[in-house]
Amino acid sequence: MHRILFWVALVILTGACNQAGQKEGESRPEKAEKIVTATIQELVARPEEYKDKYVAITGMVTHVCRHGGQKCFVLAEDGETQIRVVPSGDIDEFNIELEGSTVAFKGTFKVLEPEQSEAHVADYAAEASHVTEMAHSEAEKADMFIEAVDFKEITR
Amino acid sequence: MNWRKWNRWLHREMGFLFFGMALVYGVSGIALNHGVARHWDPGIISRSESFQYPAPLQKDSVDRELVEVLLELTGEKKNFKQYYFPNEQNLMIYLRGGHIIVELSTGNISVTKVRSRPLFREVNYLHYNKPKKLWTWFSDLFALSLILLATSGLLMVRGKKGIAGTGGILLAVGIVIPLLFLTIFLWF
Repeated sequence: MHRILFWVALVILTGACNQAGQKEGESRPEKAEKIVTATIQELVARPEEYKDKYVAITGMVTHVCRHGGQKCFVLAEDGETQIRVVPSGDIDEFNIELEGSTVAFKGTFKVLEPEQSEAHVADYAAEASHVTEMAHSEAEKADMFIEAVDFKEITR
Repeated sequence: MNWRKWNRWLHREMGFLFFGMALVYGVSGIALNHGVARHWDPGIISRSESFQYPAPLQKDSVDRELVEVLLELTGEKKNFKQYYFPNEQNLMIYLRGGHIIVELSTGNISVTKVRSRPLFREVNYLHYNKPKKLWTWFSDLFALSLILLATSGLLMVRGKKGIAGTGGILLAVGIVIPLLFLTIFLWF
């Protein structure tokens, strides 16, 4: 009897811990906002105009961060400009298999405040893996990015 | 049943039940440590192979036809996705499961194939709580049980080898080491 009671207590206790965790993570950004369709070049050229807007962009993914897939880089139609996209909402990470695929992303366009931007650049410089300048380095250091809540591979 | 018997029972039952979970979190924990330290990417296996194009290439002369030639040369025709120029010196060809980097000035071709690392992919999937939902419950139960396993373990043995003897010294060492790291690297 003791044994059964023990296991029942353990399961109830675990359930209680779990529910507390769910309450903390309930806030979900980006609801039914109006979607602004923009090109990557437009976002990069006029960030203040699109700041905090819910945007949709499409482009080829040039790189997915190898350490947890917590960012990827999307190429503009000019073949040079890139933008950083980070996972948000229900997206945990970006899979490396997205590299070379054309992907449509939806999410909030974010622009860092000057002090946040400085801290971001400092963090970037401190990363050992950032010694070599890559094609996506500018986008990685940039003070603007998209917090994606949805994406779809258009070409694989 | 006296409390020591109960304690032993608890330790034994949970030890059996959570052996598999200990392996999952232990193996993925090592992977996580080394992933963070940048020594090694636990999630993927990456293999590179070199080829040589017979002549230097000009960026302007690269088109889909030439890319097809490069794909033929490397045996990757069926895996082609897209290509672009990351800079003036290189051509990047994306493949399903990898990529090709061509150094235009020399014609050097480097093919990198990437695939998921078996076992680590699976244990990392669980460790990072990707399944969510019921897995969160079971892994919470495991985390709680680790505390109970550790606590019940302290009380298993009496005497010289128990908590009042050499066991107590080991217990103190095990607590001091993480505190030492926190003191040196975080607090000061």
